[in-house]
Amino acid sequence: MKEIIALSEKTITLNRNEYLKVKGSVDTNIYFVESGSLKIFVLDDYEEQIIRFGYKDNLIVSLDSFLTNKPSVFFIQAIKKTVLKVITKEQFDEYLKNDTHRILWSSMLESLVLQQIEREIDILTSSPKERYKRVLQRSPQLFQEIPNRYIANYLRMSPETLSRLKSVDLNQE
Amino acid sequence: MKSENLIQASIEQTRQTINEIEKLKNKDLRSLIWKQAPTSWSVLECIEHLNLYGDHYLPEIEKTIKNSKTEVETEFKSGFLGNYFAKSMLPKEKLNKMKTFKDKNPLNANLDITAIDRFIVQQIKLIDLLDRARTVNLNKLKIKTSISPLLKFRLGDTFQFFINHIIRHLKQIERIQATYS
Repeated sequence: MKEIIALSEKTITLNRNEYLKVKGSVDTNIYFVESGSLKIFVLDDYEEQIIRFGYKDNLIVSLDSFLTNKPSVFFIQAIKKTVLKVITKEQFDEYLKNDTHRILWSSMLESLVLQQIEREIDILTSSPKERYKRVLQRSPQLFQEIPNRYIANYLRMSPETLSRLKSVDLNQE
Repeated sequence: MKSENLIQASIEQTRQTINEIEKLKNKDLRSLIWKQAPTSWSVLECIEHLNLYGDHYLPEIEKTIKNSKTEVETEFKSGFLGNYFAKSMLPKEKLNKMKTFKDKNPLNANLDITAIDRFIVQQIKLIDLLDRARTVNLNKLKIKTSISPLLKFRLGDTFQFFINHIIRHLKQIERIQATYS
């Protein structure tokens, strides 16, 4: 990971609510989150559905654009002030010319596929409580980094439901 | 110009516009309603002026794209007048004043911070329309101007005109803020 971050020659800072990327743009960069947090979402008829988050020490990328060089449907917006290191696709392609690096990259892709499967099961799980428990178990850090209302959107439940689930959780301990 | 380039550059410009305007939300309301002279505009009045244009153009563009039976054309070619109007909107080094149509003048309208929210909703809509315009013909589709329903510009020129007009007033907002501080 350190080697990949070291490829970066550019840092950008976004203030709260500023967009890193909007729907329809082609963005083939990889971003490393130095500080702050972002939400990745799609928008239909002004209804926002959060797909993923990025926070400190995460890599984020519009993988559809990155792989195809075509426009991506995602919006990426800063939740709070965020500092990002930019790694361009050209820099990354250069890095992948080395065999060891390519093996590293394919293991990163494998782990990403597994994450996507987990996320798919999240979305297909009908019980809000189960959805909450799955995510809490998998990424407890999320609940430290991201405000409740965004996590609620990510979990497809109202902020009230999430608060209730969280308090029940605490009472059981 | 390639149609795809026009769309991509316009989407990127609109992203930057939103980020510029988002910054205003952190400012003191007093600075946003401050004006240099009774007849000049405040920051919020500039934004409301853009909103009034959006109220005309965004529904017109949406309707036209929705009803379109055209196909994509890779190359976009500006119309003579459309190109002229789009270019004339861009701010010059030296301040070039332009006259505002009466129905687009927000002077002394009672404005608050919701004008900014309305503007951002419009910009998100614009991004959506630019993205959807990838499936239609930027040359053949024509959009009625706000000046007269008889005067129509090509969809591609309308996007450029609309976005250049926003850039013009972003510059004005910068100037107002510089004078205030």
